[in-house]
Amino acid sequence: MSVLLELENVEVVYHHVATAVQGVSLSVPDRAIVALLGTNGAGKTTTLRAISGFLGGDNARVVAGRIAFRGETITGRPPHEIARRGLVLVPERDKVFETLTVQENLAALVPRGRRLVTRQQIFEYFPVLAERRRQLAGYLSGGERQMLALATALLCQPDMLLVDELSLGLAPVVVETLMRLVVRLRDELGLAVLLVEQNAAAALAVADAGYVLEHGRIVYDGSVQRLLVHEDIREFYLGVGHRADRKRYTDVKQYRRRRRWF
Amino acid sequence: MALGGGYFKTSHEADLAVVDTRLRRTALAVLVLALLVLPRVASSFVLDLASQAALAAIGALALNVLTGLAGQISLGHAGFLAAGAFTTAALVERGLASPLLTLPATALVGALLGLIVGIPSLRLKGLYLALGTLAMHHVVLYVAGEMQARAGGNTGFTIPPPALGSLVLRGTVGWYYALVLAAALVLVLVVNLQRSRAGRAWMAIRDRDVAAASVGIHVARYKLAAFVWSSVVTALAGTLFAYQRGFVSVEAFGFFLAIEYIAMIIIGGLGSALGAVLGAGLVTLLPYAIDAVVAALSPGAADYYIFPAKFGAFGLLMALFLVFEPLGLVGIWRRVRNWFLLWPFRHRPLRAS
Amino acid sequence: MLQALTTTLVVASLYALLGAGYVLVYRSSRVLNLAQGDLLTLGGYFLFALAAAFPGAPAVSLPLAALASALTGVVVYLVLMRPMAGHPVFAAVLVTVTLGILLRAGIVFVFTDRTRHPLQSLGLTNPPRALPGGAVVSTFDLVMIVTAATLFAGLFLFLRLSPLGIQMRAAGEHALLASQRGINFHGVFALSWALAAFAGGLAGMICSSNVRLEPSLDVLGLRAFAVALVGGLDSLAGVLPAAVIVAAVEVLSIRYGNPLLSDVSPFLCLLVMLLIRPWGLFGTREELERV
Repeated sequence: MSVLLELENVEVVYHHVATAVQGVSLSVPDRAIVALLGTNGAGKTTTLRAISGFLGGDNARVVAGRIAFRGETITGRPPHEIARRGLVLVPERDKVFETLTVQENLAALVPRGRRLVTRQQIFEYFPVLAERRRQLAGYLSGGERQMLALATALLCQPDMLLVDELSLGLAPVVVETLMRLVVRLRDELGLAVLLVEQNAAAALAVADAGYVLEHGRIVYDGSVQRLLVHEDIREFYLGVGHRADRKRYTDVKQYRRRRRWF
Repeated sequence: MALGGGYFKTSHEADLAVVDTRLRRTALAVLVLALLVLPRVASSFVLDLASQAALAAIGALALNVLTGLAGQISLGHAGFLAAGAFTTAALVERGLASPLLTLPATALVGALLGLIVGIPSLRLKGLYLALGTLAMHHVVLYVAGEMQARAGGNTGFTIPPPALGSLVLRGTVGWYYALVLAAALVLVLVVNLQRSRAGRAWMAIRDRDVAAASVGIHVARYKLAAFVWSSVVTALAGTLFAYQRGFVSVEAFGFFLAIEYIAMIIIGGLGSALGAVLGAGLVTLLPYAIDAVVAALSPGAADYYIFPAKFGAFGLLMALFLVFEPLGLVGIWRRVRNWFLLWPFRHRPLRAS
Repeated sequence: MLQALTTTLVVASLYALLGAGYVLVYRSSRVLNLAQGDLLTLGGYFLFALAAAFPGAPAVSLPLAALASALTGVVVYLVLMRPMAGHPVFAAVLVTVTLGILLRAGIVFVFTDRTRHPLQSLGLTNPPRALPGGAVVSTFDLVMIVTAATLFAGLFLFLRLSPLGIQMRAAGEHALLASQRGINFHGVFALSWALAAFAGGLAGMICSSNVRLEPSLDVLGLRAFAVALVGGLDSLAGVLPAAVIVAAVEVLSIRYGNPLLSDVSPFLCLLVMLLIRPWGLFGTREELERV
């Protein structure tokens, strides 16, 4: 199976002084669903932004490593170029154009050449959008917005989707529906998906493989079976099991003080 | 901008201290000494320049409190200066030229004007507020223009030098000391404001006024306070301006003057008192620097090239700062400092191990 | 009475052209382009220079001058506004102010501040025309009204119906999201700046042919931003009624007040609007929070 997306030792720095992720390497094979897990501040969104070319606004840059899509280096390319190569991001916030109608949202994009999904098919996957065609996207509910975001991403005719926090702010039932939809999209359209999630249980339920980020570094990776039996993953990410003798995270952190001269 | 390196303040005093390292204390002492001694070694041209810079610094510091500290964007700063100058002119016209009368009167007028200009800030933010202040500025200039057309004859008002009994303030050296002292006072005031409750409230309002309100800060009162404080100080600066120049006319207070002050705090660095002073110094010196450069490059340059050259160079400098270093000179300073603090590491490592 | 009405319409058309420029730029870059007045002056000077280069050939000078204005818009965006992409709005607005300063300095540098009359070099005249009812307008007054109407009609059709127009609206709302959907928002924004400069340049060309050309024409720009705000900074439709209102106030204050008052009247309209309805006649209320 060929590798679609590859990150090699990527390092991202904010404001020239703060390293957000370091030495991150991961790969997403064709037609695979890969989960990227981590708590808040682990660097998941930074990684996604680095991949999708989204970084510049926060004075952040990729200072080391390489990001390749289909073998071509895409590090530092602007977002619209990356989208046109077939790698499309479904962002965590600000997913739709609120002042445009659903119809216009589905038109506000530049698709790639190849025809994978038609508008008709989109309305079959997301019947709710067909009903609300002429409604302003700003008035859609959270779940409908997520669907619209996915729909517009699909209409860009991608080979791979980067999905940032699909489950954020959604009811468990809706999350389940969307996750099943992601699997369906992979099966029917041949898409690969990188699923960045805080909701580890939901992500691992549909993924083939996973990576765990902590403090900007990958601390564990492997197939889903391996992840589901690992002690730390079960305790810290799935909330299952607890051993009283283990050190807490906050017990281990220390600061070192220096005297200021300048 | 992030402070590189693992420095932490471990006591309340350390947090509040303005000059906290020995190096800084020494530098400050040297600076004060240099300022006191300057009239002995410098020509009166340089002293005049320094006086202008000090006066500009007062206005810039006031604008910095309003825009950099409290986050209320004001494009109408020249209007406050004009209000101060024209109040003085109006009193002089009625024979009340003593500073004991003009200064309090100007402060009052400034406060009232600040209150009026500040009222839109309760509803508006950012760009809309800036536009509102710009419109106010034009209205103030209109009133001043009407006043000038009716009373002063179309050229303007002459102001006699300020006198307290038999003490008259005149001459380059006298004005130098007076203005530098005034600027130092305002600087101390501003730095203390930053550390005070009002300063913290303003910074909270600047960053997220909704969150500030939710922790009990009376947003409306503090916003108005910022406008009033800023306009009182600026109006007083306008009075000093009137006294020093000896002449007041509406042409001196156009839109360009407001832009100059904005440029001072941008070039200097928004939100920083040091930045306001640096910016004021740079913007005041710029026209003279350009004069010197043009004179050196093409000694016989026609006069009408000088004006657009100055204008253009000013615009270019401002554009360069806005595009490349929006945090101004202070931002550049902090970058240099971070480099030294972090050396030989490039970035602050993730864990302090 | 009718004269006042026609004068109002003419002034309103000028303000409408400038206001369209403000709204186009605001909807894309979220910036109030305070150099719009200088773009107007620049358009006039382009016409003057081209008319001097090709005397007696308005069919060449006019389109070329309009094209030059549009290109200026593109250049301004690429050189000055694109680097400001991540910076706060206030800084970007100040950059437009510095652009205005630079343009004005450049114009005075090249052309000095003498008053010019491009009409002579163009070989055209500006005869007065009598309208039914007794009002008198000049030819270029009528040209102003027609141009404004045509431009607005064109812009409406473009933005509502064409795919590029929808992309422009999308990029204007959220540039990064548009970028993730494959829209090259820099190209789209450059286009909006080109259109804004084009509109301003047209106004400048007509104005300088109608009255005279001098560097101080840029004050019209500052007055026109009051129009943009009264109508709603993000509403193209709002520019039209706002232009009429502000023009009416100005014309009336010339008649019944004094010239100084008419200079400040757009700002008074602006202040009134800011106090009672800050988002303008047709603007979106949420815009207040976005800045």
